Amino acid sequence: MSSSARPYMLVVEDSNEDFAALQRVLSKHCKTDIPIKRCDDGDDALDFIYHRGAYSNLTQLPQLIVLDLNLPGTDGREVLTQIKQHEQLKQIPIVIFTTSSNPKDIASCYQRGANSYLVKPMSIEQLKKSVCSLIQYWFEVAVLPAQG
Amino acid sequence: MLAPELVTKTKAAIANITSPDISSATVDINNCDREPIHTPNAIQPHGVLLALNANDWTIIQVSQNTDSYFYQSPEALLGQPVTTLLSNEHIQLIKRCLSGDFEAINPLRMTLPIQQQLKHFNVVVHRNGDAICLEFEATAASSEHQHSINFFDFHKLVKRPINRFQQTSNLDELCQTAVEEIQNITGFDRVMVYRFDQDGSGSVIAEAKQSHMTPYIGLHYPDTDIPKQAKHLYLLNLLRIIPDIRYEPVPMLTQKKEIEAETDNIPPLDMSLSVLRSVSPLHTEYLSNMGVRASMSISLVTDNKLWGLIACHHDSPRKLSYEYRTVCEFLAQAIALELTNKSNHENADYQLQIKQRQTEFINALTQSENLEQGLTQNTERLLGLTGSTGAAFCEKGEITLLGKTPSLAETNSLIQWLSDQFVESALFQTATLSQAYAPAAQFIERTSGLLAISISQVQELYVLWFRPEVLQTVDWAGNPEKPIEIDEHGEEKMSPRRSFEKWQQTLEHHAQPWLPCEIEAALELRSSVIGLVLQRADELAELNSELARSNIELDSFAYIASHDLKEPLRGIHNYSSFLIEDYGDALGEDGAQKLHTLMRLTQRMENLISSLLHYSRLGRSELMLSPIDLNELAESVIELMQMSKPEEATIEITKPLPVVEADHTQITELLTNLITNAIKYNDKAEKRVTVGFLTGQEAQQQNIYPEQPILTSSESFPDASIPVLYVKDNGIGIREKHLEAIFRIFKRLHGPTKFGGGTGAGLTITKKIVEKHGGNIWVESTYGEGTTFYFTLAGADTSDSRQSSADTPPSQ
Repeated sequence: MSSSARPYMLVVEDSNEDFAALQRVLSKHCKTDIPIKRCDDGDDALDFIYHRGAYSNLTQLPQLIVLDLNLPGTDGREVLTQIKQHEQLKQIPIVIFTTSSNPKDIASCYQRGANSYLVKPMSIEQLKKSVCSLIQYWFEVAVLPAQG
Repeated sequence: MLAPELVTKTKAAIANITSPDISSATVDINNCDREPIHTPNAIQPHGVLLALNANDWTIIQVSQNTDSYFYQSPEALLGQPVTTLLSNEHIQLIKRCLSGDFEAINPLRMTLPIQQQLKHFNVVVHRNGDAICLEFEATAASSEHQHSINFFDFHKLVKRPINRFQQTSNLDELCQTAVEEIQNITGFDRVMVYRFDQDGSGSVIAEAKQSHMTPYIGLHYPDTDIPKQAKHLYLLNLLRIIPDIRYEPVPMLTQKKEIEAETDNIPPLDMSLSVLRSVSPLHTEYLSNMGVRASMSISLVTDNKLWGLIACHHDSPRKLSYEYRTVCEFLAQAIALELTNKSNHENADYQLQIKQRQTEFINALTQSENLEQGLTQNTERLLGLTGSTGAAFCEKGEITLLGKTPSLAETNSLIQWLSDQFVESALFQTATLSQAYAPAAQFIERTSGLLAISISQVQELYVLWFRPEVLQTVDWAGNPEKPIEIDEHGEEKMSPRRSFEKWQQTLEHHAQPWLPCEIEAALELRSSVIGLVLQRADELAELNSELARSNIELDSFAYIASHDLKEPLRGIHNYSSFLIEDYGDALGEDGAQKLHTLMRLTQRMENLISSLLHYSRLGRSELMLSPIDLNELAESVIELMQMSKPEEATIEITKPLPVVEADHTQITELLTNLITNAIKYNDKAEKRVTVGFLTGQEAQQQNIYPEQPILTSSESFPDASIPVLYVKDNGIGIREKHLEAIFRIFKRLHGPTKFGGGTGAGLTITKKIVEKHGGNIWVESTYGEGTTFYFTLAGADTSDSRQSSADTPPSQ
């Protein structure tokens, strides 16, 4: 597919409730209509990125990956490492979106090449603020590499 | 056959103690301990000695009595090839003997044509460095009573004695049988078994003699009666015979070297392995004084050590053929084998009793809580282990006395001295303590014998056993002190004693000597204790690692659980919010209010979980130690607080704070927590907080240390070298009954709406930080007036410290 296809974002999130909250905030508060695709575990996410299995027909890579760390099966840290070690895939920006506020997690994710790190806030107001600025930054402010 | 290494070793030992300058002419009782008796340069006259050059078989040394045997002068023989004397067959026989051929073993039978007559000889051959030694003893051609024995005779001769040896049931019986059988075979007047004691002296323990002779049994002979080098030679030459002590020594004639100057340097022949070797004149004098004319001694060797001798005396000259000597030597070896056996069974009942005690001990030790209890709870058992009358157990200078012992002070000094005696061996034993340790003379009745083991030098772990003095009488064969005689020139001269009459000596300051089985029991107790201690240490290490593992598991459990708890909580929060957003109208004011409460509760729960998470993370984190100027740190904490809530309180630092080695992040949190609390729990109009410190000495003078430190794990608390920091407020104070509870996690003293709420984790975390830094924390409070939190930091685990603050002066 051509690079003129609509950019979308991939959310790797195992919690249905967290994903629902994210979707709702995006559409209701951030008023964005950027398409969202979702994977609910690490292996699913890797298949998606590498266009394997159920995703073998995919041609277009996401413009942004929002990645939870604690995932069933292959852990989010491992997913991050694999993508960021791949010659082409590593240019996709990855935003970690997790419960963990552990300084060790934060440091190690940036070391592995994460482009941003957000702690899932408890307060819904905080969530709205975070998510909207996230989308605005990565889809309106930042200039991203063209997909090849 | 002697092992070559043993020969070399023994020869070296002899060379080490003898002095080659002493000759038979100059030897006397003062220097006889250094007489080179292995190189007398003379032989006894009952044979001829030829030394051949091993390379060309020429005669290089010869005894000067060849005339009477070979009708050739020694001078004529010297330098000649041996073929002038021996035929080719003889030479072949000698070569086969030297190469260990069983068909040609000593003695070699040779018949030589001398003066048109055939003369018969027994020839004993041995190799001596570069020389081959041939020793000729004439044997009559006629069938003399003892002349020659073949294999069947040999068997007949040894069969009965060996059967009898084996049937004996103890050492005494064995030795008695031995002397009877040897006397029977050799016909010597008196045959004795002489046993060496550990100190080198010895005594006659079995005797067969003519009825008219004075018994020697039970008599002791001092160490010096048989010089050390002679004892070594007994190992090399298992049988020594002097057919007539009044013999004239036959000197050796040595080939002169071509260069005159070198003649002096030719060393005398080493006769260690020679059967004809001439004996020391002192020895013949000694035997003569004893009334002996012919003597033979056969070594009893066990484990390559000289256990004793079979000594044979005769009051007239007596020869014994080489074959008979071989029979005696063989029997002595058979006896020696039995000796080991019988010695092991000596006082078998007593040994069994000791073994039982050992078993009891091991059981007691495994069941007792500590070593002291296990060793000392049963006095009888501890004393019985070594047959002693008193014992002392010492652990790190703490002494426990059991039974008859020196006083506590005396034992203490004894142990001080003893601890230096364990350098080479973990065991020290003596039957005459006062000889080794003079102060022991003070308590000699109680302790003359000491047996001590060192279990651990570092722990000063010793066990001592005591034995009282027992007056003993020793029967010496004559006064063992060397006598002084006045010689014909009126000068003092020492010579072997003349009297061998029983001479009784009373031994003072002597205890019963410790038996080998008792010493062994002590050593085995030591091994058991060490084994047990090691086992305990292993168990402890395992317990520790299990504890460490479960601690880590607990930490990661708290961490993971906290994370997983947050997710559903967030769901509840978000969905409540969606409910309000989507159905706010339907719910009404009251419904929305309740959902807000729900959301507030989830937030509070989230705070609690976060605190828990933080606390558990603190437990797992490693300290990043660096020198911290507490003044700077406190100022930045205060600044930050006054920025968020300005004008709320007056916070001051009393005097310049010290520099400490600590983790910057954690200490910031610690001070923040304490100062926050000081402001938070304060209802005064003018809130005052003081951050300060006291030196260790000041703290001691002002007596601010708690009776019971909160962190009991903190070692050496209080320590006067460590400053005490404090945060003091004029707040609401804490009731005495709550003082302990305040450090418990989530423990709050006030309702959720009072004093701004909180999770109740601050002080728990504060305490944890202090604990991580190896310090201590405590609180002093007057209800309604104010509270002071004291804490120390020094003693922080500096194992992973990056920098030392030792040289950093406290900054202003």
